[in-house]
Amino acid sequence: MKIIDCHCHIASEEYIPLSFVEGSVANMAAALSAQGLPDRTKTLTAMFLNRMQDPLGDSLVLEMDAAGIAKSLLLIADFSYRLKDCKLTIEESFVRHREVLKRHPGRFEVFGGVDPRWGVDGISLFERSLTEFGFRGLKIYPPCGFSPSDPILFPYYELCAAHRVPVLAHIGPTSPVLDFSVSSPFLLDEAARRFPSVNFILAHGAVSFVEECVMMCRYRPNVYLDISGYQATLGYDPSATAVKQILSQGINHKVLFGTDFPVFRLQGEQKDFLQPLLRENGAMEELSEKEKSMVLHENVERLLENAVSVVAA
Amino acid sequence: MEFDSKFDIQIMDLIASGISGKFKKVKISGETNLQKELGIDSIGMLALVFRFEELFAIDMAKLGINVNIAKLKTVNDLIQAARDILSRAHAEGYSEAGLTGSKV
Repeated sequence: MKIIDCHCHIASEEYIPLSFVEGSVANMAAALSAQGLPDRTKTLTAMFLNRMQDPLGDSLVLEMDAAGIAKSLLLIADFSYRLKDCKLTIEESFVRHREVLKRHPGRFEVFGGVDPRWGVDGISLFERSLTEFGFRGLKIYPPCGFSPSDPILFPYYELCAAHRVPVLAHIGPTSPVLDFSVSSPFLLDEAARRFPSVNFILAHGAVSFVEECVMMCRYRPNVYLDISGYQATLGYDPSATAVKQILSQGINHKVLFGTDFPVFRLQGEQKDFLQPLLRENGAMEELSEKEKSMVLHENVERLLENAVSVVAA
Repeated sequence: MEFDSKFDIQIMDLIASGISGKFKKVKISGETNLQKELGIDSIGMLALVFRFEELFAIDMAKLGINVNIAKLKTVNDLIQAARDILSRAHAEGYSEAGLTGSKV
């Protein structure tokens, strides 16, 4: 069956700043320290960064091939306004992603992300990404310090409406260097109500604010969720019950498969993460073939099919 | 460098020491899957790696050894990785005292 991963990032320090990584590593170090192990922050950081050396997406494509993933959506999260140790400007990030898009024809789509506090330059860049770069959506990262319903974002949503492309919003906790308080799905409600022609995807809806995400998907026609991040539960629950529960809520026309590559690269490869879903007795076993198709590719294809198509120039 | 069955048991004991909850009932063999059958997640794998370093008194970072824990699926994978690491450490001149785990 065709599979589209709706939530990936390029594994490179160019796009994910060291401060973000160090924040995430601090949580790992705390967990290990509680087990009586000495501080290994430097080693952990090095191990993580070692798995972040794929700036052109070549390794990701190999993992996609091994897992049977036909296409992945690459999301650009703009940390450059909030975290000052980013290696690239957001415009440079867009340009590099366009190169990846051209390098692997047919394997990727890109959602450009711009911190709305960059002003008119940011709006202009996002519009160019749709009209010139061939990008197919907007990625927003509220933990950088803004609500997803802040009016400062409305010009972006107007562009999304005009170009008929979706918005994917990070939901839930993230690196501790950022704000968790603006990561609730209910903060997106006003935007979803004001822009009914724009489809919004709640990222990580199977693992963060699950009840709220399901509620939003059930009662807002233009709200969807992706299951990326479910790998975090596989350690204590190898049968991926978190995914199974989401898939039993009667909203399978709103659920999108995603992995959040490369966040879980220390844990496994893309094929390892498909297995708990697709194997016998896996999380998707009780779904009809049609429901599986919807979750694995049709839902995201439906969100993308109306977009004004531009080939990456 | 030679490894005997005691070494495998040492590694299995190391694995067993990090297992919790319902997974403690699982009988560990070479084919046992670390995540699916023993519930060892990425933090658990990192803890295993660091405990392994302690047990054998080696510092993989100093040795330039980079373990891709994502590739370690089964107990046998881990045992083989441990053998490879210790062989390399031995070649680099780490002490036998450390390699026999006598520091624990």
